[in-house]
Amino acid sequence: MSQSIETFYEVMRRQGITRRSFLKFCSLTAAALGLGPAFAPKIANAMETKPRTPVIWVHGLECTCCSESFIRSAHPLVKDVVLSMISLDYDDTLMASAGHQAEAALQETIEKYKGNYILAVEGNPPLNEDGMYCIIGGKPFVEQLRHAAKDAKAIISWGACASYGCVQAAKPNPTRATPVHKVITDKPIIKVPGCPPIAEVMTGVITYMLTFDRMPELDRQGRPKMFYGQRIHDKCYRRPHFDAGQFVENWDDDAARRGECLYKMGCKGPTTYNACSTVRWNEGVSFPIQSGHGCIGCSEDGFWDNGPFYDRLAQVKQFGVEENADTLGRAAAAGVGGAIAVHAAVSALKRAQHKNEIKKGSSMSQGEE
Amino acid sequence: MTTGMSTGAKPSTAIAGGGPSPAVAGADDVAPEDVASLQKITSVYVYEAPVRLWHWINALAIVVLAVTGYFIGSPPPAAAPGNTFDTFWFGYIRYAHFAAGYVLAVGFLGRIYWAIVGNHHARQLFYVALWSKKWWKEVLFELRWYFFLEKRPKKYVGHNPLAQFAMFFLFTLGVTFQIVTGFALYGEGLGEGSWADTLFGWVIPLFGGSMDVHTWHHLGMWWIMMFILTHVYVAIREDIMSRQSIVSTMISGTRTFKDDLPD
Amino acid sequence: MVATPNGFNLDTSGRRVVVDPVTRIEGHMRCEVNVDENNIIRNAVSTGTMWRGLEVILKGRDPRDAWAFTERICGVCTGTHALTSVRAVEDALGITIPDNANSIRNMMQLNLQIHDHIVHFYHLHALDWVNPVNALKADPKATSELQQAVSPSHPLSSPGYFRDVQNRVKRFVESGQLGLFKNGYWDNPAYLLPPEADLMAVTHYLEALDLQKEVVKVHTIFGGKNPHPNWLVGGVPCAINVHDTGAVGAINMERLNLVSSIIDLCKTFVKNVYIPDIIAIGGFYKSWLYGGGLSGKSVLAYGDIPENPSNFDPAQLHLPRGAIINGDLSKVHEVDVRDPEQIQEFVPHSWYKYADENKGLHPWDGVTEPNFALGPNTVGTKTNIKELDEAAKYSWIKAPRWRGHAMEVGPLARYVVGYASGHEVITDQIKGLLSTMNLPVGALFSTLGRTAARALEADYCADLQRHFFDKLIANIKNGDSSTANVEKWDPSKWPKEAKGVGMTEAPRGALGHWVQVKDGRIDNYQCVVPTTWNGSPRDNEGNIGAFEASLMDTYMERPDEPVEILRTLHSFDPCLACSTHVMSPEGEELTTVKVR
Repeated sequence: MSQSIETFYEVMRRQGITRRSFLKFCSLTAAALGLGPAFAPKIANAMETKPRTPVIWVHGLECTCCSESFIRSAHPLVKDVVLSMISLDYDDTLMASAGHQAEAALQETIEKYKGNYILAVEGNPPLNEDGMYCIIGGKPFVEQLRHAAKDAKAIISWGACASYGCVQAAKPNPTRATPVHKVITDKPIIKVPGCPPIAEVMTGVITYMLTFDRMPELDRQGRPKMFYGQRIHDKCYRRPHFDAGQFVENWDDDAARRGECLYKMGCKGPTTYNACSTVRWNEGVSFPIQSGHGCIGCSEDGFWDNGPFYDRLAQVKQFGVEENADTLGRAAAAGVGGAIAVHAAVSALKRAQHKNEIKKGSSMSQGEE
Repeated sequence: MTTGMSTGAKPSTAIAGGGPSPAVAGADDVAPEDVASLQKITSVYVYEAPVRLWHWINALAIVVLAVTGYFIGSPPPAAAPGNTFDTFWFGYIRYAHFAAGYVLAVGFLGRIYWAIVGNHHARQLFYVALWSKKWWKEVLFELRWYFFLEKRPKKYVGHNPLAQFAMFFLFTLGVTFQIVTGFALYGEGLGEGSWADTLFGWVIPLFGGSMDVHTWHHLGMWWIMMFILTHVYVAIREDIMSRQSIVSTMISGTRTFKDDLPD
Repeated sequence: MVATPNGFNLDTSGRRVVVDPVTRIEGHMRCEVNVDENNIIRNAVSTGTMWRGLEVILKGRDPRDAWAFTERICGVCTGTHALTSVRAVEDALGITIPDNANSIRNMMQLNLQIHDHIVHFYHLHALDWVNPVNALKADPKATSELQQAVSPSHPLSSPGYFRDVQNRVKRFVESGQLGLFKNGYWDNPAYLLPPEADLMAVTHYLEALDLQKEVVKVHTIFGGKNPHPNWLVGGVPCAINVHDTGAVGAINMERLNLVSSIIDLCKTFVKNVYIPDIIAIGGFYKSWLYGGGLSGKSVLAYGDIPENPSNFDPAQLHLPRGAIINGDLSKVHEVDVRDPEQIQEFVPHSWYKYADENKGLHPWDGVTEPNFALGPNTVGTKTNIKELDEAAKYSWIKAPRWRGHAMEVGPLARYVVGYASGHEVITDQIKGLLSTMNLPVGALFSTLGRTAARALEADYCADLQRHFFDKLIANIKNGDSSTANVEKWDPSKWPKEAKGVGMTEAPRGALGHWVQVKDGRIDNYQCVVPTTWNGSPRDNEGNIGAFEASLMDTYMERPDEPVEILRTLHSFDPCLACSTHVMSPEGEELTTVKVR
């Protein structure tokens, strides 16, 4: 075992995993892969000598909040992730080199670790104007993305931008900002949505892949089940107030001071899949609802167009109107009701006329009793 | 006067002799005995007991669903502070909604079952004869009747074609949409792997996300509201102005005709 | 050779050097320079290379939601756009926020300044001055002595501590997987620090990485998360309840204690680590006084941190407002962001179209139609640009001007304005630093001056954070725990039409949002952001912007290795997502590119 390269095994040891459990882990892995017990030592050997997984982190149209969130990770500390767990070979927000040297670093990693690096994407490519709304090295970002994706082992779509499009893709999406999975269709993609995702969720996804050497279980939308399996609402500590019907009615009212449910203030917790109410933010200090503001649903597809943020009911956007379902429904029902009233009036009139006609001595029996 | 037979009704009086065959409404919803029944003041057994029972349970479920659903979207003033265990009224509203949802869904399934085993009128809810020229002609006629362009309505044993059209598109599709979206949302609470999630979970990403499904489900409620408004109005109006009984039919099951003119 | 009206001589005859991507910044940026035979930069071209079109997305939305959209302009200076936005909307609707909300907002904004300055210096800027590979040669004992000399009160200073860090870096370097440090310019003679200073700085790189995640917790407490905490038109969303039942759901004593401890943490780190590092590192680079650019000529600050709620009278702002032009420090001009004559944006060299490109437009009348067109002397193709033609359009950034002048904004601009207007704290800080380092006032107008001003400002902000914490406590003690003014929350109480402006001093400089509200919805929204000022391309008269000006006449050790360019550009803390998000309020269909 090399002394200089901190291998996977060393990392696990440093994380408090004993040699005994490490070997056990290796034999379980062998079994899970359908290999005989003879393979366990081979796996152990591979892990003991395997270099840190290279990660290429590219940036499209974004605001860098995902990178900022990532460096907030408390467990593991981001310095441990970057120095000991992965090899962050390209990340234009943090890397030392620039220009040609930065591009060379990207190219070297792609060639040296063909098929073995993880591509992390923050932001998304704009497709209008031949992609020139986001230019890297004089070329459209989408080219860099395709190039780096070609030989990647897997892709992580960080945040709402890469996963769903986020704010630049909100209507009318002037640059045609497009989520990663609609551009790269032949690679496994893990979506880690949120604006940004929680720091420990980000490092959790990466360390899961390193520790278990597999992709996390994904839900229908391609998100790791372990962090996105439930809605914020399902584990919100204010949930009892929701069931009780105890709602904040106005900012800073008595209910707000008692920490009651923000449902009526437009909280999107009931429709948002994320770990905010469990993992919480910044080392578990708080999360939006705990700090008095409803969830705005930032890890949901198209959340910008499901506003306004302070209304329970979203604006309906499909019919070229900007009203919520109730306003729309009431208007439609009123329309139908009005039409019925008019129709009923005309019907009554016609009927009266008709009766008169019969009275006038028509011989025809219309069966009017 | 009823025959009490599930296969439909025998006319109490038969046609005496030839004459031109009457124009028959609802091309696909007609049986020889129906044709006969059109010709005289008569009554015919249309809605079998399960259909009638379903209708009223369903109506009740929809009322409960609509009212509770509205409040789930726009909660009334907040409850007083206090113990969140013994104050549970928003929970009850949601509970009522889910319970009524189950009633609606199970009833709807039962209704589908009855469409298969029941009389041919029981099937009318589940199709429209878009392929039939005759059917379109009838629709046109009904439209003219509703626009006061026809003086005399036609006789129908089951739904008239326009009613059938409205039933299918507003009600049957509406309720199906509500059941599918409703249980997709319900599955979110039951959790991944639950029956509702397994059957309907795919709906959520199809619409974009949970919030989108909520919005559409809410719009679906208004869709059904419009059906109800129209349905109730037309039922009462037709009860008065058409040539057959309407409202009482859904209680007694029999359709009585007010005249014995053909067609 | 072309002389610009703002006093720079541009010579494009030398060799063209292209840096793209410029890394360790927020967003995407490109820089091209011409160097003469003596490796001195004689022409500089800075280009914003991204554009998102947020303003058209905002049109027609609820103005109470605008903060969330604009906050996503930038995740590094997270929150400052949101604050500017709620101020703009409150200005339009005539809302005065409660005193507590003002204190909490100020604490959040100050917290951002401190956080941003620390992360910028250690994680985005330090590698321009510090050579981590060289740190391997350091003697941990000598490093310990250096640490104790520059900062006696910093507890992490033992030789063993530095040895551990050194071993870790060593193991990392020897692994052959250099990760972020790959392809750095580690043998470039532009790096001047002795190994011990390098090791000390690398250690603080890691310390700061651990610390910054603590600093932001003030945002988490009041705003629920960071990055991108929550804000509220009319106040702050967090209610205060220190006395009664349910306090666990609101700002209570435990929350306040946590805030207080973080304020101490900020102050301690800035005092014991950040400022000593600036002095220590700066001491080795005293000879490298390039990069002044516009800082000694024209600077602009809007001012921020109002003592009283919703009151932006410059007399009661803790960060100063004013403009200085043509290097005349004796006159601080008043700045009125509503005056259509003062702030105007030009586009003759930006990828946008005006009806008359010789004229500038005030943000309230802003028109921004994208127009991606490359000049005739461009080398390369539309989707593979080798060299830009700066005589034509060449950036996604517009060119804002104050009374026709290109201005520098940011911590140094604020400190120059503060110094010129006799701001007591700022003047004392500047004088203190200059005398400690034995430098003249002129040294301020440089790359290092920019970096030093940022550190001084972090220190001042840490004190101000304490001031507003104390103010909040005093207020609660007096029985006022109000945090939101909801009188005009309901859109039915808004005027049919209204317009407002919000200003802040973002970490990178003067930031303004201009909003027009009509029938309860946003009719027009324009932002002019710090990096629009600093990263501005040329204007109709040929004035170069702050980035370009600052690169002029800089000597490069090795033109292929852009250490000096990065050094100076980074000293501005560029934020490209901020600067390049504008779009037409009408949202015209995008025109196609023409390579002429």
